[in-house]
Amino acid sequence: MKLRPDSREPEKIQSAERWEQQIRKGALEMAALAALWPGRLYGLEIIRRFQDSSQLALAEGTIYPILSRLKDEGLLASEWVEAEAGHPRKYYWLTAAGRTRLQQMAETWTEFSRELARLIKPVMTTPAMTKRAIAAQEEEEVTK
Amino acid sequence: MTPRDQWLHIDNYLAELRRCLPNMAVADREEIIREISAHIRESVEEPGSSIDEILKRLGSPEMIASQYGQEVLIRRASRGFSPVSILRATRELARRGLQGLALFLGALFGYASGAALLLTVILKPIFPRQIGLWIGPAVFQFGYHQPHPFDPVHEVLGRWYIPVAFWLAFCFVGCTTYGIRWCLRRFRHHRAFVAGSPVAQLAALL
Repeated sequence: MKLRPDSREPEKIQSAERWEQQIRKGALEMAALAALWPGRLYGLEIIRRFQDSSQLALAEGTIYPILSRLKDEGLLASEWVEAEAGHPRKYYWLTAAGRTRLQQMAETWTEFSRELARLIKPVMTTPAMTKRAIAAQEEEEVTK
Repeated sequence: MTPRDQWLHIDNYLAELRRCLPNMAVADREEIIREISAHIRESVEEPGSSIDEILKRLGSPEMIASQYGQEVLIRRASRGFSPVSILRATRELARRGLQGLALFLGALFGYASGAALLLTVILKPIFPRQIGLWIGPAVFQFGYHQPHPFDPVHEVLGRWYIPVAFWLAFCFVGCTTYGIRWCLRRFRHHRAFVAGSPVAQLAALL
């Protein structure tokens, strides 16, 4: 008899990937604002900034809907500038509201990641319990 | 690939993107196309990348369009008065997190109640004795009820049922629309930077 492959496994992998993707996507909004902290940049420069400095690798096209939304929320402003290269570039920069929001975000993020790092520290340092150890512990509890 | 083929490839990509973008103002759509094509031109000038690689890194036109689409849905709903666009936007938000789901269920409840009341207004002339505001011991019911001779439940509004139920339906739909619009605006302006992701839900717990 042929065993049916475990259909749950790919789902698990998918959900782990989705989780990772959502985190990246969520952080991208703050990263886009942060990339503009020093000054005005155009889309591709913002993307290159990410690639140089962090693990925010995503499909490059995702940055443009985010920039458009941030602009719509009044956090960014933009302008087409005729470049020397011969074609125009759309430059973005932070508005006053954008600067304030980014500072709030940075504070929240720092506090949040510190708290989360504290929570997950044992996961990284102590080894996970083996099945035998869990069984032994359960047995111990039963005898008590 | 000859340069001609390359430009054809890019043109196809942009045409596909234009096709996938949702129903939006022409100027907005052309702005998006202009920006994405500027990105491609800029990338082509960087050494060592083929057109195929550049377009692959950019992501599929469907993916980019759907992300713009989600934003447009929410933006339009938070500014307009159409229950359809509000339901569509909240359904989109429901996929992103618990807050969104609550909003969607709220919208669904409000509009369904309004629609049910409107239906009873339409049916009142057809079933004048069965539709009304029924009051009795532990009963307070708008709509259809088949009265029995010894039933303690009785109808109280009579002819006034139509204007009262109509007004109530109007209130349900109006309050839901304004309430959800308000929430959508709040959602857009005060959302956490990782809204809807597991991180935001964790952050809310901490």
